[in-house]
Amino acid sequence: MRFEDWRDEEFIRQAIAEEIAAAEFRLEGLEKRVIKALATRDRPRSPWRRWLRSLVAPRSPALRLAYVIGAALIALGIGVLIGRFAFAPEPLPALAQEGTVFALAAPGAKEVEVVGDFSAWKPIPLADPDGDGVWTLILKLPPGRYEYAFLVDGRWVGQDPNADEYVRTMGDYTSVRYVGEDST
Amino acid sequence: MGGVGELELIQRSLEGDLEAWGEIVVRYKRMVFGAALAVLRNWADAEDAAQEAFIRAYEKLHYYDLSRKFSTWLLTVTINVAKNMLRKRRRPDPEPQTFHTDDPATVVEREELRKAVRQAVWSLPEDYRLPLVLYYWEGLSVEEIARAMRLKPATVKTRLFRGRALVKSKLLEMGVTVDAV
Repeated sequence: MRFEDWRDEEFIRQAIAEEIAAAEFRLEGLEKRVIKALATRDRPRSPWRRWLRSLVAPRSPALRLAYVIGAALIALGIGVLIGRFAFAPEPLPALAQEGTVFALAAPGAKEVEVVGDFSAWKPIPLADPDGDGVWTLILKLPPGRYEYAFLVDGRWVGQDPNADEYVRTMGDYTSVRYVGEDST
Repeated sequence: MGGVGELELIQRSLEGDLEAWGEIVVRYKRMVFGAALAVLRNWADAEDAAQEAFIRAYEKLHYYDLSRKFSTWLLTVTINVAKNMLRKRRRPDPEPQTFHTDDPATVVEREELRKAVRQAVWSLPEDYRLPLVLYYWEGLSVEEIARAMRLKPATVKTRLFRGRALVKSKLLEMGVTVDAV
């Protein structure tokens, strides 16, 4: 089936509102239930809970310090493991010597990426192999209109000086590039 | 208590006035429920999460910085509660009701498209569903969502764009072809 009058923001807003409205009957009297729960919540703790609490939040400064050091070592170990296994680089889209060039001057940046509708807004890294501060990426894109933005050290840069035009969406700019048959 | 200002209600709540907190619940329960539902996708769980979020927020109210926007702080508490609940939940994440069309060639009626979009949005992964709900339903700005979700604004923007793209591709999977205007 085909729908030619697609306005995604309007339809998405409507889809969210409908689901929430359908479930809203569950909120009837919520304030009374919250007040009731709070009024009965502040009961004296059992000895078991007091012991558990002394373990979780010890009063002794030496024990607290030992907890902090232990937690830091565990976090370091987990961080190393995550870094090794979870952040394996994802395969990049096919690059070509000839294609659409994305280039941005960002001297001093540690990481520059491009997100756009050509990648379903998934970040693709740019490279600066010679370290001159100009980050580049060549993508082979089929002819069409593409919206995109750069992420410079995680900061949104929506106005590419090389863009054909800009559009304002969700309170910020995104760049637009038209790719023709010659893929430039 | 309808005409009392938010700040006064918060200050009275800090002094232990549960009726004042009840008024806060009345004012923010739709917002809190929407965020909880965005994380949990289950009405009953979202109701439990909303109740627990208001209880937790009341107990932690002395940590709230009065110079910050109260709704954003309350959303942060809600998201934490709902995510903890999601982690503890043993049963699998419920899938929304599936939608299929009989005739792929016909122009879809608005009602059918509406159902398809609803299914597509609510079947998105939570990373994309939650920012969409906060942006399109709660009316939060990108910066407010970033604060509530403890993310960078650029990450929120990327997730919003990607969420929209995923809705479109999910519709394509369902056999709905959409042309942007």
